[in-house]
Amino acid sequence: MYQLIIIGGGPAGVSAGVYAARKKMKTLLIAEEFGGQSSVSDDIENWIGVQNVSGYDLSKMMEDHLRKYEGDIDIKDGEKVLRVEKIKENHYKVITAGGEEFETERILLTAGSHRRRVDVPGGEEFDGKGVAYCATCDAPLFKGKETAVIGGGNSGLEAVIDLLEYASKIYLLHRRDTLKGDPATQEKIKASDKVEIIYNAEIKEIFGDKFVKGLKYVDIPSGEEKTLDVEGIFVEIGSIPNSHLVEGLVDINNWKKVVVNHKTQRTSDPGIWAAGDVSDVYYNQNNVSAGDGIKAVLNIHDDITGQKRE
Amino acid sequence: MKVRLYTTPFCKFCKDVKALFETHNISYEEVDVVVDDKAREQMVKDSGQMGVPVIDIDGEILVGYNRKKLEKALKVA
Repeated sequence: MYQLIIIGGGPAGVSAGVYAARKKMKTLLIAEEFGGQSSVSDDIENWIGVQNVSGYDLSKMMEDHLRKYEGDIDIKDGEKVLRVEKIKENHYKVITAGGEEFETERILLTAGSHRRRVDVPGGEEFDGKGVAYCATCDAPLFKGKETAVIGGGNSGLEAVIDLLEYASKIYLLHRRDTLKGDPATQEKIKASDKVEIIYNAEIKEIFGDKFVKGLKYVDIPSGEEKTLDVEGIFVEIGSIPNSHLVEGLVDINNWKKVVVNHKTQRTSDPGIWAAGDVSDVYYNQNNVSAGDGIKAVLNIHDDITGQKRE
Repeated sequence: MKVRLYTTPFCKFCKDVKALFETHNISYEEVDVVVDDKAREQMVKDSGQMGVPVIDIDGEILVGYNRKKLEKALKVA
């Protein structure tokens, strides 16, 4: 039986893994992949100590750092966790999609979140056939084509930037009357005459034949339905925390985030901790997640050794 | 075995596929579909979709990075 199982290989999970290994806690880390959501980013400029790094390279750096401690920590990668079951106090079972089961005294959930998909008619049907979720990957395939980006947060603005070099036209559709993303990025996209921002737009339908031909949206103030003829639709409408893994075991808020004590990262179940985007932290940032993952492991170490802080 | 990999320059999953090929010493031909318009059309036609990476292993078309499926198709699992 493990003292700790860490679920997730993003910045929170990997940081926690390094600390747990150095503390010689009997730990297993299970990760579908390393690096977290920003692993698809082409350039990360705010990982402290590194001026520029691609998401891919940062993921490799994290994985390599953790693997340096293999032996002090067990690592199971390429494996998805299906759910956590509680057997009794300080005794849990972690069940993977591959059908394996692992038992542990404590859980640290750093499972992040998954992308919210566009939930309108045509959204699933045209997935990969013009509907895209990775602008850094797929923007170049829309060379000379008219495209749309759904979502006015940072990821949406970055998708517009990725498309600028290739697409002939980019409509940015946003639900509200002001964009949410960073002003610096807003300035960049507003400077391009290829970009047309459509505010107060609610997506209703994606249509096409073999591939996407366009989308329908409603102009919220007037209620009027409008059509855009586009061949590419990049969806950037946020994400959903992977809290379903511990559903029923811990308090989860209305946004599906696991509620934690922010001094310790402990959840409502005294044997389960959470850190990173799956927790109810305000700021979804690599640096914040790394710090919170470490905070969790230090508190877990206190729990194992009986150290009291207050 | 003839392996062809369709990529774009900043695609993380393309790099994952390449790393997997290197781990298993698989020789492959990489095609950057940003510069090669014909290859891009071929890729869309063969895979019936518009995303990278696309991997052609002796005519068997795989889309995206899925380590288990790739290892099976490459017969290295």
